[in-house]
Amino acid sequence: MATRRIISQEKTLLEKDDSIGSSPAANEKSNIAPAVPASVIFKLLAFTLAMIVVPIGSYFATVDTLFKGNSTYAGALAAIMANAVLIGYIVVAMAEDQSDQLEGGSGKPKTDNKKDR
Amino acid sequence: MADSETAPKFAPFIGMAGIASAMIFGCMGAAYGTAKSGIGIAGVGTFRPDLIMKCLIPVVMSGIIAVYALVISVLIAQDLTPPSPNGGGSNYSLFSGFMHLACGLSVGLTGLAAGYCIGVVGDKGVRSYMLQSRVFVGMVLILIFGEVLGLYGLIVALILNTKSKG
Repeated sequence: MATRRIISQEKTLLEKDDSIGSSPAANEKSNIAPAVPASVIFKLLAFTLAMIVVPIGSYFATVDTLFKGNSTYAGALAAIMANAVLIGYIVVAMAEDQSDQLEGGSGKPKTDNKKDR
Repeated sequence: MADSETAPKFAPFIGMAGIASAMIFGCMGAAYGTAKSGIGIAGVGTFRPDLIMKCLIPVVMSGIIAVYALVISVLIAQDLTPPSPNGGGSNYSLFSGFMHLACGLSVGLTGLAAGYCIGVVGDKGVRSYMLQSRVFVGMVLILIFGEVLGLYGLIVALILNTKSKG
């Protein structure tokens, strides 16, 4: 008797799930697009690589060729190149913000994400 | 084994202390700046993930502090040569040793100050920027003025380093 009751209850619950649809999104495709677009990732990776390579690379590339062994000028150039990478990063970040504002009318996914949260 | 008065045997120790202090203090500042502004990014990113790109600016600036220390360390390390094995003592003078120590301490401790400034401003500024977008210009200006503190130390260290060749 008890087993029969349990079986019947389970069936009704399953039928309810199927008929009412407690998970209405089961038929829809979920949004599996990456949260951070690939272009941003590539920009960040490029700036990380530039930050590592450019200053010290410019030092060793120019200390013997361009500056004839005067390491002071080469060190100053390395510091300047590090700041050039920083300025480039700021410019890219500002441009990204402006592009977001321009896409504000059509950029539905971001606003949807904000509403969901 | 000539242990002259102007170039004693312990002179390279002082110079290497300069290299170590440049890297140690500079990276302490850079690490504090990165960690503190990283806390700010973690606080902002949960509410406004689209702002993360601009909030990473203090992290990049902290990285530049470490680059300054790295440049000075490489410069000093190129002036250090081991004493020749066939008797002749090192011609590394005590003057060069103390000057390299001054180079390392100036770039290291100003890097520590600049990294501390960037960390605090990066944390609070990024959180304010989340609420009021006009803070951004002021935040970047304050960050640049904090960064320039480390740049002054680098300039002084570069000028000091030229004196050793004379």
